[in-house]
Amino acid sequence: MYPKVLIFSCNWDGWSCIETATSSGFRYPASVKVVRVSCLSRIHTGLILKAFEFGVEGVILLGCEPGNCHFGSDSEYIIKEYKKAQNILEMLGIWKDRLALVQLTAFDGHQFVTEVMKFLDEIEQRPVSRRVRTAVSELA
Amino acid sequence: MFDLQRVINDTKVRLCLDCGKCTAVCPVTRYDAEFNPRLVVQGALSQNGYGPVGETIWSCISCNMCMERCNYNVKFTDFIRYLRYKALVEGAEVQYNHGGTPQAIMHIMGRKDTKQNRLSWLPGDIKIDKHSDTAFFVGCAPYFDVLFSDLGVKTIEGTKGALALLNRAQIPFTLLPNERCCGRDLLVMGDIEGFLALARANLNEFKKQGIKNIITSCPEGYYTLKVDYPKFLENWDINVRHITEVIAPIVGTDQLVLGRLNQRVTYHDACTLGRYSRVFDQPRHILNSIDGLELVEMEDNREKALCCGASPWAFCGSVNKQIQKERLAQAAATGADILVTACPKCQIHLRCAQKDEESDDIHQIEIRDLSAFVAQSLLPQEVS
Repeated sequence: MYPKVLIFSCNWDGWSCIETATSSGFRYPASVKVVRVSCLSRIHTGLILKAFEFGVEGVILLGCEPGNCHFGSDSEYIIKEYKKAQNILEMLGIWKDRLALVQLTAFDGHQFVTEVMKFLDEIEQRPVSRRVRTAVSELA
Repeated sequence: MFDLQRVINDTKVRLCLDCGKCTAVCPVTRYDAEFNPRLVVQGALSQNGYGPVGETIWSCISCNMCMERCNYNVKFTDFIRYLRYKALVEGAEVQYNHGGTPQAIMHIMGRKDTKQNRLSWLPGDIKIDKHSDTAFFVGCAPYFDVLFSDLGVKTIEGTKGALALLNRAQIPFTLLPNERCCGRDLLVMGDIEGFLALARANLNEFKKQGIKNIITSCPEGYYTLKVDYPKFLENWDINVRHITEVIAPIVGTDQLVLGRLNQRVTYHDACTLGRYSRVFDQPRHILNSIDGLELVEMEDNREKALCCGASPWAFCGSVNKQIQKERLAQAAATGADILVTACPKCQIHLRCAQKDEESDDIHQIEIRDLSAFVAQSLLPQEVS
C-alpha cells in the first residue's frame, strides 16, 4: 500500500510528462492523484496545506523546467510559495520533505515516473509517515 | 451544540430596543450600508428565531464596538457567532482570505497527534525554567512570520521582546514545544468543532506540563484563554495574564528599569485587549515609563479605538481596507513617528493596507510591536 500523494501539475510541460508516461505504459501507483491546473502559479500555500489537512501524505508540484514557463513569468512565484509552504510544514511537524517541487523537460515521462517513485520511497521511509497515517485513520 | 433559546437568553438579544446605537458606531456600517447590526438581530429573531439572516453576517469584524454602546448589554458578537455556526452547519460557503492557509494550519494543529517543531526562532540568550509552573503562550507568531513574510511583518520580534522583558524582571517561565493556536479565529467564524479540538489539545498540553499560570503577549490568545476556554472547557483552572499586566506593576521599580527612547509614539488598542479585556492603562503606563518617550493619542482611542479592520482571516475586502486606511490616517494625524500595538494581527492588517498604498505618505507610519519596542529600551545588562 503506497502513501497517498497529490500532484498539482501545470497544463504544459508537467502535464505532457504525465501523458507521455501514460501512453508509453510507464506505471505509477494508484494512490498518486493528479490535479491539473493552468499554471503552477495557481497553487498557493493554502491549497497545499488543505491537501495535508484532508489527509494526503505528500504533495508534488509538477511544473515546467526552469525558464520555460508557458506564460513567460518563469517560476519565481511558485518557488516562493513552495518555500513558504515548506517552512510551515516543518513547523507543523509534517516536515518539509513531504512537499516536492519537480520541474521537468516536456514529454519526459520516464523521468516523471522516476521522480514520483523516488518521492514515494522517501516519504515511506520516514517514521513521521506512520504518525500521519494514524492521524488520517483517526479522522476517517 | 447550541440551543436557540439558550443563545437568545445568553446574548440578551430580546432586550434590543431597536435604538440603533450599535449601527451608528459600527465601523463596517460606515463603509458598507448593507451591513446593519440592528437589522441582523431583527431579521434573525423574526419568525420565532428562524428568520432570514442573509450574507451580511460574515461582514462583522467582531470589534465589539456595538456592545460598548449598547444600553442593555446585548452580546451582538456572540449572537453573530451563533448565526455563523448555524450557517456553516447548513452548508454556507465561506470566503477565506490568504487561500485559507490560517484555517488549514489551525485544523492540522487541532489533530491530537500533532507534534510541532515551533521553537526554532528562540534566541540562545533567553533563559527558560523548564520546571516553572508558569508558561509563556507564544501563539501563532512563528507561523505569521512565515506566512506574511512578504509584508515585512516581524511578529516574532514581539514575542522575543516579551521574553527578554520577563528575563530581565527575573520572572521564571517555560515554553511549550507543542502548544496550539488558541482557536479564536475559528470560534469567531462559527467553526466550533475546530475551536474545541484546539482548546482540548491546549488543555491537554498544559495539564501534562503541570501549568498553573499563563503569560501571553498575544491579545487574541489572552482573551480566548482567559474568557472563552472556561466557557467551553469544564476543567480549565489556569490563571491567564497578559504581558502588560505582568510588566506594568513593576516598571520603574528595581525589578525592571527601562531605558531611554527619544520618540513620539501613538498606541493602537487591539480590540481583544482593549474593549474585550479592558486592558487600557497598563500598556500606556509602560510606554510612559520610558524616558524621553512622548505618547500621543489618536482621535479614537481606548474604548472608542477603531479596529484594525479585519478579524478572522475571512471576508476581507474593500470595506476592511477603508477602515484600515482610516486608522492609519488617524495615526498620521497625531504626528507620531511610530504606531505601537500589542497585537500581531493588527500589525499584519495595518501593514497590508500600507502595502496597498505604497505611494501614499499619509498611511506610511512605522508599526512596531509593544513588547519588542519596550524591550528595545532595555539597557545592556550589567555583568555582576
